Formats: sequence, structure tokens, C-alpha cells
Amino acid sequence: MYDCEDCIRRLDQLVDKELSPPEVEEIHVHLDECGDCTKRYRFQEGLKRLVKVSYQEQKAPDALRERLRQQLGA
Amino acid sequence: MAEQTVEEQDFGTEAIGNLDALYRGALRLTRDPDKAQDLVQDTYARALRYQHSYQAGTNMKAWLFAIMRNLYWDRFQKANREAVSIDDIGEFALYDQMRDDLGEGPETEVLDRIARGEVVDAIEKLSPLHREVVLLVDVEGFSYKDAATVLGVPIGTVMSRLHRARQQLQKDLFEYAVESGIVPGGLNKRS
Repeated sequence: MYDCEDCIRRLDQLVDKELSPPEVEEIHVHLDECGDCTKRYRFQEGLKRLVKVSYQEQKAPDALRERLRQQLGA
Repeated sequence: MAEQTVEEQDFGTEAIGNLDALYRGALRLTRDPDKAQDLVQDTYARALRYQHSYQAGTNMKAWLFAIMRNLYWDRFQKANREAVSIDDIGEFALYDQMRDDLGEGPETEVLDRIARGEVVDAIEKLSPLHREVVLLVDVEGFSYKDAATVLGVPIGTVMSRLHRARQQLQKDLFEYAVESGIVPGGLNKRS
């Protein structure tokens, strides 16, 4: 049985989907009964999502894309 | 130019499909749009030259990132490659700080009120080694294994850098959240 410490130690891997299925199952057993860890998990997940959307607005300039297309024959 | 084979065309199409990700990566390495464009162009030129060494069906994005990173370090950073240090920032988490200050952990909705520009600024302030791991894993969706390959470090190093980077990021965002009144600060005296 995971306690809060086990859970917190694995939170990065959980949000990054790097845990094995049995570990995911075990951690969810803990999350189901621990409001504090669940909140912590949601927060970490939310932060990861925020980082992703914050950066994905950056796109390569069209001129560069066109140049590379010609170079690669794509 | 000689006629392209189907494989070469597929290679080109798949490579171009990764352009935005590569450009973002180049921007954060060079911090200069012109240099970033040059770096991306050189990366594609090298990829084209070595395309026979790319195994179709493997992770092309990771392969392109590895090429780009090597080019960058060879060219711009040879002198201070070893000089980059990772500060030990200690254990600090936005979540814990807010829980201490507010009496309970913050709701995820707090994050909705943090401007995206602030997040980018906070990431730009991270040390280069921390910044690149956050961007590979969080923005570009690399697995720990692929990130480790690109960075040329063990998976454990990816994990510890990522953890520290996230802690630093949370610390900066917490300061911003307090300054901008998103959360009340200073309830507990911190000396």
C-alpha cells in the first residue's frame, strides 16, 4: 500500500505517464482515499498542461518552412 | 538534383512535420530568432546528409533534436559546455507553499489565472539544463527514455533535473501569483 510519501515521490512519473500499469493502479488506490494527494496530483497535471500550451503557440516562420520544403523536396 | 525516391520524399515530409518543435527548441537554445532559424536550417541539412542513418519507424523528433543539440553545443557552446552548473535549489513547491499560506492546497483553477507569458518567462529563467528537460518532456512530449537519449544522460538524471526544474518553476510562479494578487501572500512570515 502506498502512503502519501510513496505517492508524492511518484507524482512526476505519474503525470508524465512513466509508471508501469501496476504502479498506476496502486497509486490510484491511494489517490482514491487521499484528498490532499489528489489535489496535489491535479495541480501538477494542470501545471504540466499550462507549460505545454504556453509554448505551443510558438511556430516556425513561414519563410523558413518554405525554404526547408524546397531543400528537402517535401 | 537527382530524382527523389519515395523513401526520401517520406523522410522529407516527416522531417518537416517536426519543424515547429525544432524551431521552439532552437529558440530556447539560442534565444535569438535569427540564430534559431540558422540552427534549424543547419539541423535539417545535416539530417538530410545522414538520413541513411535514421531508422524509419523510430522517433524522428528525438533524432532531429539530438542532431540539433549536438550542432548547437559544438558550435556555440564548446567553451563553456562544462561550465553549466545546476544549482541545488532545495525542496520547495508552489503547492506546499500555498498550502502553508492558505491553510489548504490551491485549487487547480489558480493555474487558469496565470498568464501564459508568465509561464514562458519563468521557464526562460531556468538554467539551460533544467529548461531543456522541461521543454523536451512537457512541451514536446518526449518519454524519459527519449529525452535521455537526446541529452546523452541516464534516465535518472532526466528525472532529477525535471523534478528540480519543476520546483524552481513553481517557486517563480508562486512569487508571481502573490505579486499579482492571484493568491494572498505573506500570511505566514517567511524569513
